[in-house]
Amino acid sequence: MPELKFTEAQEMLRKAVREFVEKEVLPIAHRIDVDNECPVDVFKKMGTLGFAGVFVPQEYGGAGMGLTERAIILEEISRHAAGFAMILMTHHLGVEAILAYGTEEQKRKYLPDLASGRKIGGLAVTEPSGGSDVGGQQTSAEFKDGRWVLNGRKCFITNSSSADVTVVTARTGEDAKGRPAFGAFILEAGTPGFAPGREENKFGLRGSGTGDLLLNDCEVGEEALLGAPGNGAKLALATIAKVGRTGMSAISVGILRGCLEEGVKFAKERILYGKPIAKLQAIQLEIAQNRVDYEAARLLTYQAIGLKESGANCDAEIAAAKYFSTEAAVRSAKRTIDLMGGYGVMNDYPVGRYLRDAMATIPSGGTSHVMQLVIAGQTLA
Amino acid sequence: MAEKRLAIWVVVEQNQGKLAPVSIEVLGQAVRLVEAASALSGEVAVVLLGDQVEDLAEELSAYGVDQVYWVDDPRLKHYQNDSYAAVLQRLVEREKPDILLFGATGAGEELAPTLAARLSTGLAAHCTGLDINADGQLVMKVPAFGGRVLGEIFCPSTSPQMASIKPGTFTVTERRVGRGEIVREDASSLLFDEDIRLEIMDVVQFEPSGLPLEKADVVIAGGYGMGSKKNWGLLEQLAAELQGAVGCTRPALDEGWTAGEHTMIGTSGKTVRPKVYLGCGISGAAHHVAGIKDSGVIINVNRDALAPAHAYSDYCVTDDAKKVVEALLEEIRRTKNEDDSG
Amino acid sequence: MEIAVLLKPVPDPAQYDKIQIDPATGILVRKGLKTVINPEDKHALEAALQLKEQHGGRVALIGMAPASAVETFREGLAIGADEAFLCSDRAFAGADSLATSRVLAKAINKAGPFALVLCGSTSADGGTAHVPSQVGELLGFAHLTHVIQMEISPDGRATVRAKMENGYRESRGRLPLVLGIRRELNTPRYISLMGIMAAQGKPVHVWSLNDLGLDKGKVGLAGSPTQPGKLYQPDMKRKGEVLQGEAREVAQRLVGIFRSAGILG
Ligand SMILES: Cc1cc2nc3c(=O)[nH]c(=O)nc-3n(C[C@H](O)[C@H](O)[C@H](O)COP(=O)(O)OP(=O)(O)OC[C@H]3O[C@@H](n4cnc5c(N)ncnc54)[C@H](O)[C@@H]3O)c2cc1C
Ligand SMILES: Cc1cc2nc3c(=O)[nH]c(=O)nc-3n(C[C@H](O)[C@H](O)[C@H](O)COP(=O)(O)OP(=O)(O)OC[C@H]3O[C@@H](n4cnc5c(N)ncnc54)[C@H](O)[C@@H]3O)c2cc1C
Ligand SMILES: Cc1cc2nc3c(=O)[nH]c(=O)nc-3n(C[C@H](O)[C@H](O)[C@H](O)COP(=O)(O)OP(=O)(O)OC[C@H]3O[C@@H](n4cnc5c(N)ncnc54)[C@H](O)[C@@H]3O)c2cc1C
Repeated sequence: MPELKFTEAQEMLRKAVREFVEKEVLPIAHRIDVDNECPVDVFKKMGTLGFAGVFVPQEYGGAGMGLTERAIILEEISRHAAGFAMILMTHHLGVEAILAYGTEEQKRKYLPDLASGRKIGGLAVTEPSGGSDVGGQQTSAEFKDGRWVLNGRKCFITNSSSADVTVVTARTGEDAKGRPAFGAFILEAGTPGFAPGREENKFGLRGSGTGDLLLNDCEVGEEALLGAPGNGAKLALATIAKVGRTGMSAISVGILRGCLEEGVKFAKERILYGKPIAKLQAIQLEIAQNRVDYEAARLLTYQAIGLKESGANCDAEIAAAKYFSTEAAVRSAKRTIDLMGGYGVMNDYPVGRYLRDAMATIPSGGTSHVMQLVIAGQTLA
Repeated sequence: MAEKRLAIWVVVEQNQGKLAPVSIEVLGQAVRLVEAASALSGEVAVVLLGDQVEDLAEELSAYGVDQVYWVDDPRLKHYQNDSYAAVLQRLVEREKPDILLFGATGAGEELAPTLAARLSTGLAAHCTGLDINADGQLVMKVPAFGGRVLGEIFCPSTSPQMASIKPGTFTVTERRVGRGEIVREDASSLLFDEDIRLEIMDVVQFEPSGLPLEKADVVIAGGYGMGSKKNWGLLEQLAAELQGAVGCTRPALDEGWTAGEHTMIGTSGKTVRPKVYLGCGISGAAHHVAGIKDSGVIINVNRDALAPAHAYSDYCVTDDAKKVVEALLEEIRRTKNEDDSG
Repeated sequence: MEIAVLLKPVPDPAQYDKIQIDPATGILVRKGLKTVINPEDKHALEAALQLKEQHGGRVALIGMAPASAVETFREGLAIGADEAFLCSDRAFAGADSLATSRVLAKAINKAGPFALVLCGSTSADGGTAHVPSQVGELLGFAHLTHVIQMEISPDGRATVRAKMENGYRESRGRLPLVLGIRRELNTPRYISLMGIMAAQGKPVHVWSLNDLGLDKGKVGLAGSPTQPGKLYQPDMKRKGEVLQGEAREVAQRLVGIFRSAGILG
């Protein structure tokens, strides 16, 4: 097994993103959390630099890079502002669905605006009746007189009120065996009958809006259908695995680095008994554990993404990376707060936010239970 | 033939009829060098270029110099590298001084290397020390890496030996009783119209208000850790109470909290040596510390116990700068009241 | 407009506190320091790219550095320059500003012709601020440094503002020019992902002493009129007495310190 080594261009990318994040995102990271508002101008700036279309081929206006580069971007943003990274991470879900399943015409129509960040994307699958249970979706799409009519309610949808283009799954009927069949549709904001509903108030990953999407006799033409009519569930699951789970994993690596660095900084600054607490062995053990969690998450994440990019079947590896990294981020954030004593609980320090963000990464893209089921399923097969 | 004397020239700078303070500082050091190296029998000359600057020539002659080379011409009204370098090159090639010193001002940082290139000789930049060794060689001490490193520089095989000196490095010299000889040069043989490729359109200089940093006994310096323009106001109040001046680091300047560029301290700004320097929310980067290291007492307030600034301090406080400054203001006002009533 | 930008790779100025001198050898230890584009050179490159966007043409990076600095030049290409010329040869080591400028001027002539040469006004490491003027002299171009504003028209007329103490000087001239740029001039753009991709295909030419046809005695330490003596680190450490206690107690101590220094009567 060779060492995890990034190319010169990837290292340059990391350095460039870090510089951007330290100048543009870090100074507003706290405010994004407190106000729970997406700094749209910064998102647009990231768009002009290619972040929004990192893995989109250049012919569609993207940067022509891959998922590893995307993970580097998400990790670097999440080092300081995981909530903000969540917006980009979800935008990529919509982008990937269109890129992987769209017709040439759909790709030409949507990708240039999405890849440049002029438009924001999203993917809406979860419903009150079905998150983990994808088959439990109730939203329906009926084909009438050459048009699709959609009805239902999606919930917990990131970018629900800010997305310009959302890929929405809906039940289109039943397959030959009588199981529900789903289709995926590209819906543009402002389409009659399609509107954001209530906005959730999350305790973590704030800044990224999460809420309902309401479909009331929303009528769209055939050209809105993405992929084959019965292919919606597969499209959603594949997109969530490839882009969603790897993305949440990368976000968690960023949070883990934040915990490690903030912990180290505090341990060196805080003086007790006349010397920095970093000299106390108990504190050193915490730092060591933070380091190991970070390193392990990083390896699992980039390894799984590398496998995916090589075309391997690696749902279990991706699930393992997501499961481990998100859980490790929670552990590490709590550990860092403990290490800081009373200071850890104060909002003057960002670590409390890291804990809240880390908690919120767990359900996003599939819960830890579900990740373990994927891993076990593949292991036992 | 008479033994050759060691000739040190100081190229002085004047702007709109006023001498730049650094010129007098450098001149002072040149005089001190010659006096210290008495065995070498040296002499100090200054070179003054300008338009109708006779009074400055007079003034300069009183600083213990042997000669004032004075070149007066309308084309020399404002410093301009082509014209000034052309005149200096011809003078230097004719008189062959051994050592040529400049103030490292905006203009000096351009003129000195221009002339060094024309003369194919060495130039030491921003010297913090100048000495003459037993061989009569100039030993120039120069900073690099923002002042973290100092190096000695020699110019052994080409002449003249050239050096530039940052403002505030040396102290000014007093005027003397004796007067140097004023040598008025004929500009028409030293400057030709073809020499000049650039035309000066405008020179704008403003007089900063308030007590200049370099004259203040107390400097209250603020850094990025002050956090806001509002907090910055506390530093200004504190300086006012102490009759001092407020200085800043580059990030604080960039944030727009400060009175302007002229209050920045460090390698790209001012060098200060107040009786007391109080730094607030300053990390102590080499580029900043280079400008304060000769201060009397150095105090820093930084909430990071490991900030490099603490190591450069006589006293340090590990706490929130705003809090400490507020407490200090209160304490000073309280003691003043007590003094008044008591 | 054909523009050369002088780009110097320097150790990251944020890490200068870590620079040490090996007590045994007296040599500078820069191990572990990141290499970055000299901060002001980014502003020079930004100015060049803006001119290219207005008037067309090409932007070439030119520098003298060890071959390992290729990555830093690639970064300049990612920001938007078209090609890079890196002068690299053992013989260039130990150069002072004049010997450096000889190499740079020769490379500018060989890679040129250029109507405009832009560089930083001061490097973060050596920081002599000599190179803009000395390259200008060796090329025979008019030159200005500490530039904070400039306007260059396609017909080659230039109006340039150079910073001076508490003000500025504005000059007018014609191309060709060498200009030393200060950070006040502009805000450098960020590296884009598209730029990073494009940089992979852009040429980086590496030139040796022979390629440049320079005389060994005119470059490097041998060709430098200034010669270095010993290096040392100024000891700026002070006693660092920690004032402890509540803000009020600290304030009382501070007032005492001011008093004994002769402040506050
Ligand atoms: C911040 C955030 C952003 C999100 N963004 C989006 C988005 O953009 N688009 C979108 O479509 N969805 C989004 N979601 C929804 C997310 O995908 C779902 O929350 C997730 O799939 C879990 O579904 P649920 O919330 O309905 O929980 P449920 O499925 O109701 O789960 C309840 C509990 O049951 C457990 N459980 C469920 N099934 C099993 C099983 N088979 N075995 C064992 N345990 C099980 C779960 O682990 C959990 O503990 C987002 C969620 C969050 C928190
Ligand atoms: C401790 C120390 C002290 C020194 N003192 C002196 C001294 O007093 N006199 C002296 O002549 N030399 C001195 N030097 C050497 C000098 O720093 C180097 O010669 C250097 O190569 C050129 O000068 P600079 O970095 O000071 O450039 P500056 O003139 O400060 O740089 C201005 C601009 O010129 C361009 N530039 C400079 N060098 C290069 C390059 N190699 N490649 C591409 N572009 C470049 C950049 O655009 C830069 O922003 C010293 C070096 C050290 C380490
Ligand atoms: C070529 C070059 C030339 C330069 N020239 C100069 C120069 O002339 N002058 C100059 O100053 N800089 C100069 N710089 C910049 C210099 O390198 C440093 O970046 C700068 O001095 C750092 O400024 P700072 O200490 O204000 O900010 P920072 O380094 O950001 O430090 C802020 C400090 O404030 C502390 N802090 C934060 N909050 C609080 C609080 N509430 N209470 C107390 N403390 C707090 C932090 O712990 C930190 O130590 C130059 C840089 C380069 C590259």
